[in-house]
Order: sequence, then structure tokens, then C-alpha cells
Amino acid sequence: MTEQMKTLATTGLRIGRRSLLLGASSLAASRLGMPYIGNAAAAESIKIGMIWAKTGNIVDQAEYLAQGGMLALEQRGNMLLGRPAEIVWLDEPNPQGAQQSAERLVGEQKVVGMVGGALSSFALAISSVAKKAKIPYVAANAATGDLTGKSCNKYTFRLQPPVDVHARILAPYCASIGKKWYLLTASYAFGQDIKRAFTDYITSNGGTVVGADEVPVGTPDYSSFILKIRAAKPDVVIGGISASDLTTFLKQWNELGMKGKIPFAEISVGNTDLWGVGPEAADGLYTITWWYKNPNNPPEEQAMAAAYEKKYNRPAADKVWMGWLGMKSLLEAIEMAKSTEPAAIVHALEDWKYRRGDLDVGYRSFDHQMINRVLVAGIHPKITDKWDYFDIKAELPKTADDIAKAFGSQADSACKMDTL
Amino acid sequence: MLDMILSQAVNGLVLGFLYVLIAIGLSIIFGMLGIVNFAHGAFFAVGAYLAYVLGKEFGWWAALAAPLLTGAIGVVVEMVLIRHLYGKEPLLGLILTFALALLAEAVLRLIFGGAPVPFAAPKFLAGFVEYGPILITKYRLFVLVTTALVLVLFWAFLAYTPYGRIIRAGSRDPEMVGLLGINLPVVFSGVFGMGCLLAGLGGLLAAPLWTISPSMAAGAIMPAFVIVTIGGLGSFLGAIVAGLLVGITTAMTIQFQPEWSGAAMYILMAAILLIRPRGLFGERWERFE
Repeated sequence: MTEQMKTLATTGLRIGRRSLLLGASSLAASRLGMPYIGNAAAAESIKIGMIWAKTGNIVDQAEYLAQGGMLALEQRGNMLLGRPAEIVWLDEPNPQGAQQSAERLVGEQKVVGMVGGALSSFALAISSVAKKAKIPYVAANAATGDLTGKSCNKYTFRLQPPVDVHARILAPYCASIGKKWYLLTASYAFGQDIKRAFTDYITSNGGTVVGADEVPVGTPDYSSFILKIRAAKPDVVIGGISASDLTTFLKQWNELGMKGKIPFAEISVGNTDLWGVGPEAADGLYTITWWYKNPNNPPEEQAMAAAYEKKYNRPAADKVWMGWLGMKSLLEAIEMAKSTEPAAIVHALEDWKYRRGDLDVGYRSFDHQMINRVLVAGIHPKITDKWDYFDIKAELPKTADDIAKAFGSQADSACKMDTL
Repeated sequence: MLDMILSQAVNGLVLGFLYVLIAIGLSIIFGMLGIVNFAHGAFFAVGAYLAYVLGKEFGWWAALAAPLLTGAIGVVVEMVLIRHLYGKEPLLGLILTFALALLAEAVLRLIFGGAPVPFAAPKFLAGFVEYGPILITKYRLFVLVTTALVLVLFWAFLAYTPYGRIIRAGSRDPEMVGLLGINLPVVFSGVFGMGCLLAGLGGLLAAPLWTISPSMAAGAIMPAFVIVTIGGLGSFLGAIVAGLLVGITTAMTIQFQPEWSGAAMYILMAAILLIRPRGLFGERWERFE
């Protein structure tokens, strides 16, 4: 018999006051805490990563993209696979920052999928993390061809039509105005793609490029560029600058008396870019991905636009729709997969379809590019509604064959899709 | 080509005046108070937003009050926050004003949303003037004249008024000025408010040209810092010369190497600092050594 047992045998079990209090407190704490521990295990939330800029040059658009994404989850009652679901939103101040945010979402937050990448350079950085970490990623805004072209991978899906598709739709309109073009494009992937696509088009259609300038992102003053354009006397100016840079350019274009003198055209612009320009300076011919007043929008999108307007007291910009549809496709793919396994979600995303009018919108399996129409829009001659600038001219391409032609076939694609 | 060079040079000069206006408040606050005000761009943005609100509600002339209101906000900020930093570690000022800049951007985003808001110049300033190859818009001429007028008035205020002498003396030897019975805290509040007023004026004048969005401060603060550094920290004349130099350099780079236009002012700054580490007109100030 040990000494301890001897003591117990002779004196009985003696518990001190302090030990008693400590034990009682611990017991009480465990009684209080245990139910929560139990509940947390049963309903551990599913995390979805969202990477939209909270700082930097694209932040003004990113707010709408993020609101669209959050609305998509709210419309599902913040539930996925019968479990609570939450969005973890991180910043993308630059490509490196976007990459770090993606790594944090995967490594620390254990997200099951990601949506984001407001600029092409950000999306390419996130895509490389998605590929390495084998996590599904929907690039809802970036337009560079590389994303579903030579840099494609099995885990990356892209919503926005690439630059080439927008260019194939807008370029004929520009060529009908004149064959001498001046290109003013941003000095990163999006702008460089525009420069290449429009130069290829006009030079192969008997026209010339009378000038081409690459503009740094965040340029505050375009007057010197505009003086060069003025001296070159082009028939059309093709823009490739985005977000607040486009807003600034259009204000100064008007200030220097160029509005209405030389037509300006650009692909894939957003409502928010024009809202900041103001009715006096708004000008141009554009492709846009979505318009809240389009009568062809399916009932689900009309409901989304109404819900957004009710919540935020302003119309849903195209970026809201992009953020919403990108997130919706990922969430629905998770439900379709009945699993949070990356491979199952990827297969589900490849099979995911969404009816828009006569078109089944979805991601092509060979390059993960979403197939959809775009709108060609001018600016209303007189703007009476501060939200409504666009004068829609067409929704293109019209037929399924034309859509296939505009997006290109597998044989045309630079994508060499890898395996899971 | 000569025509284009002349045209770009004049355009660069006009652009330089706008840069001077943005930078001069930053220079004054550093020169007089020794505070590197990272929130200067935020006051610039506040000025632009106040102009937008006042202009929308009461018409363009009401927008002229935006700089005064920005200056008043600056005085409050100085009294509540900035004055606790005088004589302390300079890093504290950097951290506090940086936090203030982030806070201001967040507040603007909360109130106005993330999308840019429109603001146009008044109709009587629309149009442009052409002299051969030179094209200047009436609005930019207005900015140039306003900036020149503000600079002259401010210089005269500092040089010829008793208040100006107190400010200059206080910036060099605050203890002595205090011993002479002058209420320096009030003077310093006024100086900070004046710097913010100039930032607000920059915001008002840039509002019809630039995009008014919560993140617009970033577009102002970097050129302002570059100009103040090139001109010499705290130098009034230095900020003017550097602003014009940056404007012309940027315009010429756009003419010949447009893809380098964003980097041009930084290269200029690096080159000048290699030759004159204190900047063009920077002096040795015992207070900051």
C-alpha cells in the first residue's frame, strides 16, 4: 500500500476549500462550455474565400463585386450543404497581395473555394495559388485572355468574356466609324491584350494604328496623352484603361474639348466608371457585361437587382451581377457536388448551367471559360437619371453559332488543361 | 515635333501648378510644425467631397466654401490629435497621420459609397484657348491663376505680417517665442488648419479634373511627397520649383516614353537627391537634426 493510500485509509478523502472551489468552477465552466463545443462540432461552418480589393486603384469597383458575392450567399440563407456558411473577405492591394491573401485563405482559413481577382494581374496571381493548393477559384471580373488561355488550369474558372471576345464584338463598330485608330491602354495584362487584339483587327482589315500609348495604372492626369491623340488626328480612340482611370480620362477628354470630336470606344466598362464621370463628360461606345435595365435579364437576375436596390438604395451595377453570379456558380456547384472536396466541386462547376433567355450559360470544360453574351452600348444623348447612362444598341453575339465563333473553339484555344 | 514639345511643356507647367497647390500645404505643415502629415491626401479628398456636396446642394459657388471647411476640420484635428505630437518621436506623427488617412478614407466610403461621384467645372470655365500649337483649357488657366494668387498671398502673409513673423519664428525656436508671451498652441493650430485649407483647395480645384472617390487621396499624396522631397523639406520656394519640374518632366515623358510616365517623377527625385540629399532648397534645421 502506498503512502497516499495509507493516508486515505486513515483520514478519509479530504478536499481543501481552494481545491473545492477550483473544481466546482471548472465543472461549472465545462457545463457551460460543453454545449457550445458540441454545437460547434456539429455545425462547423463552410468557409468561402473572397478576394476583392479593399485598398488600391480598383477598390471602387471591388465594393460592388463583394456586395454581389455576399448577396448570393444571403439568398441561400447563409447555408450550404445544410451547414452554416460564411464568406471570408481579404484584400488584394496588388498582385503580390492578392497571392498572399489566397495563400492565407487556403492555409489559415481552410476555405473550400475562392472568388475574386478584380484586375487581371490579381486574378492570374490567385489562379496560380488555386492551382498549387488545388482549390476551386472563380475569377469573376478579370478579362485577360491568359487566364483561360495559356495560364489556364483545372481549378480556375472565369466569368467575364476575355478581351478577344469583347474585341471581336466591338471592333467592327469602331471600324465602321473609321480606319485610323489610336490606342490608349493600361500597362498591364488587360490593356496589353486590348492593344494586341485591336491592332490585329484593324491591321488585318485595311486600317492603321496612328498611335499607341501604354498608360501606368493610377495616372492622375491624361492631358499630355490627350494632346498627343489630338495631334495624331485618329478616326477612333480605343481605350484600355479601367475603373477610376477611365473616369479620370473621360473627364479630362471632355475638359480638353475632345468629347464628340473623336469617338472613344472601350471594352468591358462598368456602370461605376460612368457614374463618376457625370452627364456633362460621359461619352463613348462600349461593351458591357450586364445592365440592370435589360428586359432580357431572367427573373432570378431581376429579383437579385431588386433585392440589391432595396438593401443598398441604388441600382445593381454590372459588377454586382458579376460578383453575384461568380459566387452563385461556386455555391451551387458545392451543392451539386454534395461535398466540399475540391475535385468534386471542379467537376460540378464544369457541369453547372444557368439559363439566361435562350442560352445555357456555363463554364466550358476545355478551358473553364463562361460562355455568355455581351451588350454594345453608347451613352444617352441626354442623361436624366443619374444611374442610367447606357444606350443599349445590341446584345451580341445573336446566335449560338456566332457565340461559339466569338469565343473560339478548343482548336483555337491556347489552354492546355491539366488534370486534377 | 517642336510644336508638340512646346505644347507639352506648357501643359506640364499648368499641371505643375496643380501639383504645387497640392504639395504646398504638406510643405508648410512640415516646415512649421515638423509633422510629416500622411493625412494630407485625406484632407485633399475631404475638400473634393465637400465641394461635391456643397455644389450639389447649393450650386457651384457654395463649393468655394469647401477649403474653409477643410481648414476648420484641420484645426479640430490639430487640437484633438496633432498637438500631442510636437517634440515627440517623428515616427509617432507618421503612424498617427497614416492612421488618420485610413480612417478618413473609410469614413468617406461609409458616407458616399465606393463608386466615384461626378463633379463638373462651372459652365463659364468650359472651353479652351489655343495659341498655335499650345492648347490650354480655361479651367486649367483658372487653376494656374488661383494657385499663383494663393502662393503670392501666402508668401506676403508670412513675410510682411506680424502673424507671419510669429509663425516663422515659432517654427525655428518655439521655446523662445513662447517665452515672449505668444500663445503658440493657437498659432500652430492655425498653421495646421492653413495647410489643410490648401489641401482642401487642391481637392476643390482637382475635383472637375480627377475622379472623386474615397481612394483619390493616394493620387495626391505621392506627387505631394515627391515634390516636397525634391524641393527640400519645408521649403516654400522649393515646393514651387519642384512642382513645376515634376509637371514638365511628366509631360515630356508622356511625349517620348509614355510607359515611363508614372515612374518619371521618382527617377527625377532620385537623381536630385543623389546630387543634393536635402533637396533643391533644403536647409539644415537644428530642430529636425
